[in-house]
Amino acid sequence: MTSMNNMKRSAQRIFWLITLMFFLILAFMAKLAFIDRQEISSSSYNPRLNYADSSVKRGNIRDSNGDILVESTENGNRKYNRSRMAAHITGYSSKGKTGVEAAENFELQTPHNEVLQRISSIFTGKAIQGNDVVLTVDMDIQSVAGDILGNKKGAVVVIEPSTGRILALQAYPDFDPNTVAENWETLKNDEKSPLVNRATQGLYPPGSTFKVITALTALEYYSDWQEFTYECTGEAVFENKVIHCYNNKEHGTVDMKKAIATSCNCYFAELAKRVGAENIRKKAEDFYFNKEYHFLLAHNISQVALQKKSEENEIVETAIGQGKTLATPLHMAMIASAIANDGIMMKPYIVDHIQYYNGDISKTTVPEKLEQVISIEEANTITDMMISCVSEGTGTAAQIYGVEVAGKTGTAENATGSDHSWFIGFAPAENPKVAIAVMIENANQGGSATPIAGKVLQAALQKYQ
Amino acid sequence: MFDLIILFSRYLFLLYIVLFLWQAIVYIAYEQGGYLGSPSHAIAMQKGLIVWFHITAFLILSYESGKFFFNMETLAVGVAGLAFLLLSMMLLDKFYYEGCPLIWTGMLFLLDMSLIMLQRLEPMLAVKQLIWMALGIAIMLFIPFILRMIPRFEVFEYVYIIVSYALILSTLLFGTSKYGSVNWLKIGPITFQPSEIVKFLFIFYLSSVFRKRVELKELLITGTLSAGIVLLLVLQKDLGSALIFFMTYMVMLYISTSNEILFFAGMGAASAAATLAYHLFSHVRVRVAAWRNPWADIDGGGYQILNSLFAITTWGLLGSGLTKGMPNTVPVVESDFIFAAICEEMGILFGMGIVCLYIMLFFRGILVVIRCQRRYYSLLAAGVITMFAFQAFLIIGGVIKLIPLTGVTLPFVSYGGSSVLVSIMMIGLLQWVNVYCEQHEAGYQNTIEQNAESAEWNEWDGDDFHE
Repeated sequence: MTSMNNMKRSAQRIFWLITLMFFLILAFMAKLAFIDRQEISSSSYNPRLNYADSSVKRGNIRDSNGDILVESTENGNRKYNRSRMAAHITGYSSKGKTGVEAAENFELQTPHNEVLQRISSIFTGKAIQGNDVVLTVDMDIQSVAGDILGNKKGAVVVIEPSTGRILALQAYPDFDPNTVAENWETLKNDEKSPLVNRATQGLYPPGSTFKVITALTALEYYSDWQEFTYECTGEAVFENKVIHCYNNKEHGTVDMKKAIATSCNCYFAELAKRVGAENIRKKAEDFYFNKEYHFLLAHNISQVALQKKSEENEIVETAIGQGKTLATPLHMAMIASAIANDGIMMKPYIVDHIQYYNGDISKTTVPEKLEQVISIEEANTITDMMISCVSEGTGTAAQIYGVEVAGKTGTAENATGSDHSWFIGFAPAENPKVAIAVMIENANQGGSATPIAGKVLQAALQKYQ
Repeated sequence: MFDLIILFSRYLFLLYIVLFLWQAIVYIAYEQGGYLGSPSHAIAMQKGLIVWFHITAFLILSYESGKFFFNMETLAVGVAGLAFLLLSMMLLDKFYYEGCPLIWTGMLFLLDMSLIMLQRLEPMLAVKQLIWMALGIAIMLFIPFILRMIPRFEVFEYVYIIVSYALILSTLLFGTSKYGSVNWLKIGPITFQPSEIVKFLFIFYLSSVFRKRVELKELLITGTLSAGIVLLLVLQKDLGSALIFFMTYMVMLYISTSNEILFFAGMGAASAAATLAYHLFSHVRVRVAAWRNPWADIDGGGYQILNSLFAITTWGLLGSGLTKGMPNTVPVVESDFIFAAICEEMGILFGMGIVCLYIMLFFRGILVVIRCQRRYYSLLAAGVITMFAFQAFLIIGGVIKLIPLTGVTLPFVSYGGSSVLVSIMMIGLLQWVNVYCEQHEAGYQNTIEQNAESAEWNEWDGDDFHE
């Protein structure tokens, strides 16, 4: 009878195999319900986004001061009180949905205590109220950024370094969410693509702001960086590539601090050669290049293309933020913010909490650490260099009276016309409260991002210092 | 007001399935020697829950806003469905005296689930499905008689495999295509999938061969013949069925030989074959690409799976409430993707309940395998369970994007005449094995068949092939 017993044992094993398979299904369903749900269901391809239960009044979107940015009118339309000023954040809800309207659609649409609300609405006739979404964005700063940006194509992102809260996220060209449906054809076909959120979706060569990454790579992987100096003659030849400093300016003998302050291309090209392609790529990826960091609004991932086998001209181009390197303004603000936060990169977030119809607060976002990307010492060292960039180097236009600002400017050559202008930084340098990234497309003069950054930082500090 | 009722119904449906599963646990506990409650009471409760589930759902479905009374057509289907359920409960107990009641209630719950969901999605299909179900149950009631008339049906092993080949080859010659697979036959007004009938024959064939000691010769013959069927199914682009047949072969081989090395070698060979298929066939690559990253081709390959995921994730744990979702935006929702529709309107938790219901069915099925004292019958039961298990896994795993999608039906629930018919008949077979074994266990010593049986036992009793 032993073979019969064997058979029973095998049958039991098969049962455990089947059970394991179905538990995998259960686990995966739980993952769908709890982890992937928001990301999948808020896709603009989900036809259910446009499903509206007419008996539910869609919730409001508020800023961090509690002011209502978006509300529902009596006849069920959405009213965008700040119109263009927060367009790229709130998104629209007419021709499909975008922005927070899409990402938090189901919070906005779902009434808390639905059973209670429905019962009481039978007697009182009061509308059933969806949940309010309260943002981290402060409209005071958001408006300053919008006003200063004016009609320059570009983006401004302000982050609180210690938490990753987005305080402002401004991009131009923008649109009026109130009239998206009426102007749909124009908006869709507009060459300036106003519907694209340049702050999170725009990929630009970061130019000299990337030198911060190159410098940090040297701090970790090139032990001789303190001794290393370079005779800058305004231009240098690498293999078949000629690197120029801005306006071919000769910087003389430069060390790293001076190179950051004066934005010396030749120094960083030579430094990159010594540090090596692989290390630069590794450091950039530590800083979430080529990597998903999960953010509520539609966004693109910044890219670094360097490889072990990359040729010398590609290495030196990448070191100064040119070549195939691309970054979004949001991501550059995250980098500045990580340096400001003693090397800890925080996960950026834009929704602070959900507020129910009865005023109760729920689902408050807990700040989340992405990674310790550099050590405190390295953060302090690079901060010193960035301070000198603003106090005596290329970033003087970002100075604020009475406050020490740390920053790095950038001018990025690109295929679309005149150079893009960048500034990333934070203030106060000693005890940073706000970090910023500003990018102006095809700026006519070199420094146009820098003064904008200074003014926005000043406005932000008045509130957050 | 109606919104409020639907809102409550979401909790109610969840409550039904949770209670249903709890009563299953009560019953199983009793069988295993524990005591959580009276087993007959548990089964009566389960039957009651099925009836309540049916009535609740059909009342919601037949409500028409703004009208004075319910929709009569829907109500008629509901009443017919209820009659079908009650009649089945009565007749099944009569015809299969000592069949496992838990397997019956589990099957009826799933069949009712199918009726409700089809009525919601496409009322015409619900009527058709109901007819198929009734037909299936009617045929099934006669399985015990047929099997009693031919006492030694295990000797027809070659008949089974020859008919199987004939059926599958006929689809290659005269088949019509549906959803991209050429696996349908059309006779008069009826189209059916021969591969469904072959499932039945295949289990009989393998059990007939594997009941004896498996030597190299049997291994080679069954291996080649089974591989032939699998290959033909692949040629018809019916990858799901091919996988199900393959796994059934492997599992039955493993159960009869207890040889792990053979099992893993077979799985290794299958992985190699899958890799080869991936490189050979573009439609395999499309499926895998759609599984890996459906977002890359939203309007093409990824369309089905993404719409399924939208349906499942949008409304969360409790679902939108029956009639409140948008399941019709999912392609082939009444057949392959019906699980997505269930999750959408009744909630992910309810969907998990359905998965647990399948686990319960398989558990009780494996008990039949283990308790049975004759290899042949054990193997029949094991074949049935394996077919169901892998079929359910492939399609549920496919619609939730756990594995690449292969178009097979969800047993008992998906719309499809041949699918429902064969599924019901396979459960009939499983129950008959259960009845047979329960009866022969009791009077083991003094039945007439005992002599013939022990002669067969001696053939392989005390052998040493399992070393």
